[in-house]
Amino acid sequence: MSSIADGTGRVEARPASQRRSLLVTAKLALLALAAATPLLFAGDYQLRFLAEILIIGTAVLSLDLLVGFGGLVSLGHAVFFGGAAYAAAIAAQTLGADIVVMLAVGIATGMAAALLMGVVVMRTIALFFLILSLIVGQIVWEVVFHWREVTGGADGLRGFPVLTLHTGFATIPLNNGVALYLASVVLALAAYLAARSFFTAPIGRALLGTRERQLRMSALGYSIPRIRLMALVASGGIAGAAGALYPFVNQYVGPNAVHWTMSAMMIIMLVIGGVGSLYGAFIGSAIYLGIQTYVSSYTDRWQLVVGLVFVLTVMIMPKGVVAGLKAAFGRRKDAEGRS
Amino acid sequence: MGFYAVQSLNALSFSMLLLLTGLGLSVVLNLMNFVNLTHGSFFLLGAYVGVYWLASGAPWWLAFPVAFVAAGLAGFLLERFPFRQFYARTHLMQVLLTYGLSVIFADLMRWGFGAQILSAEIPEALRGVVFIMDMPFPIYRLFIIGFGAALAFALWFVIDRTIWGAVVRACVTDRGFVETLGLDTRRIFTAVLVISAGLGGISGALGAGILSAYPGLDEEVLILALIVVVAGGLGTFRGTVLSALLLGFAMTFSKVWVPEFSNVVALAIMAALLVALPEGLVARKVRQV
Repeated sequence: MSSIADGTGRVEARPASQRRSLLVTAKLALLALAAATPLLFAGDYQLRFLAEILIIGTAVLSLDLLVGFGGLVSLGHAVFFGGAAYAAAIAAQTLGADIVVMLAVGIATGMAAALLMGVVVMRTIALFFLILSLIVGQIVWEVVFHWREVTGGADGLRGFPVLTLHTGFATIPLNNGVALYLASVVLALAAYLAARSFFTAPIGRALLGTRERQLRMSALGYSIPRIRLMALVASGGIAGAAGALYPFVNQYVGPNAVHWTMSAMMIIMLVIGGVGSLYGAFIGSAIYLGIQTYVSSYTDRWQLVVGLVFVLTVMIMPKGVVAGLKAAFGRRKDAEGRS
Repeated sequence: MGFYAVQSLNALSFSMLLLLTGLGLSVVLNLMNFVNLTHGSFFLLGAYVGVYWLASGAPWWLAFPVAFVAAGLAGFLLERFPFRQFYARTHLMQVLLTYGLSVIFADLMRWGFGAQILSAEIPEALRGVVFIMDMPFPIYRLFIIGFGAALAFALWFVIDRTIWGAVVRACVTDRGFVETLGLDTRRIFTAVLVISAGLGGISGALGAGILSAYPGLDEEVLILALIVVVAGGLGTFRGTVLSALLLGFAMTFSKVWVPEFSNVVALAIMAALLVALPEGLVARKVRQV
């Protein structure tokens, strides 16, 4: 009965559900095409770089759950990411580096760290939350930095076993750019879907509620600390999954991965990409790491460039580069309706 | 006994630096409701100015006023351009803006002053030690304690006991009302920010004698100052003093007793404090900022 079948070509006549499924298919196809393109053109180094962008972008995405939807600006987010990276790197030495095991270790570490941090920071909000998460992050950093026997201290850890994937009958080594890139594409996509389903689920809506109307939410009977804790744990799990792959792409994990400047860097990426937009996390991390890698090969002043880009973003496009550019070119007038 | 007396004085001198830096930060936060994360940059700028001034052979005591002026000038310029538009925005936007600016300044200072550690040449008059219960104690640290205490007292007096302080506090409570009285609140806010930046600069110049000056010092100091201000309780002068003393003593004595994990212990104490008292040491009174 559809309009395609009777050949009238009247697109508007199509049922909405069918149109949407077509749109989703088109989007997925486009996404697959976009994900596959680098495989054709990029070398091993670039693919590893893209994998790093996707992995850090995933961690930034998890931060967006807190900042964008909960209004909780954490300066201790690197603890989940870096903690999981260390846990995976240390576990790989005894368990072997199977990707499923690594992800499980990372997610568990991230969630446990988030739970622990939540117990400490959940009583407070706003600036107090910022400072407490910072203090907790600094404590973890100090421990990582001084616990030489396990974490390697200031030198960090190197020389991990090769990341592998058991498929039942064969074990595929994931040690080249292509494999690592594909693994991080899958990770990023899964994290995006997880974050989106969290956000669209009642818990995500409740989290938004705690940000917008805290008093009304508690009057309705919601336990605000519990909602925030759940968001923190979910976010920690996603960050942990990203952290688990990080050592294998970078072939190194050092104390900087848990330092608060890493948390601050994630916030910068998030803001450049757009707070509250989910996909903005990846754009932000691509811009930041792109500047870091390519500008630093021309000049030592790359931090100045990053700082300027960041400050200009905050001043001119507080909603991030994508939303800012959209507004600047006046396209997609319906954008306001879709948060 | 003598050992602990000297360590207490050490802690006190460090607390004074924390107090001066924290006061600069808290004046702006409490009076203008503006989170200024470039405060650490003011501190580092003051430290660099101090190092270069003390090495230049000019009258040494001028180093501190000069550091005040240099950082105050930087504060004045910043207030003029980006800060002013952000007073009405959320804390998050202020944190983002000022953190971005501090990244820029950190890199500019690394460019201008180099990346190596610069130690200040302590002036002739303040070199040497005094003996306290047979233990040597550097005169310079005594100077920091005295100078810092005097400065903090002066600041408290101005804000709490004079008509200027009353005007600034009135601006926070009801800005429109103060405008109606014919006072230019924009000027007042500029003055507060300049004084705050100057305080950061002067504590940097003072601290250069014991902490030196190097890239990254700005962040370390900023974090400690933020902890002091927040743990003290927003909006209270007393709380800032108390938590500066607490953090100074915690950091110094944990370094004596558990040198390996000194910072962990000191930070854990502050974290425990904030968990136990989520509003800070001294909870804010009715004054809603």
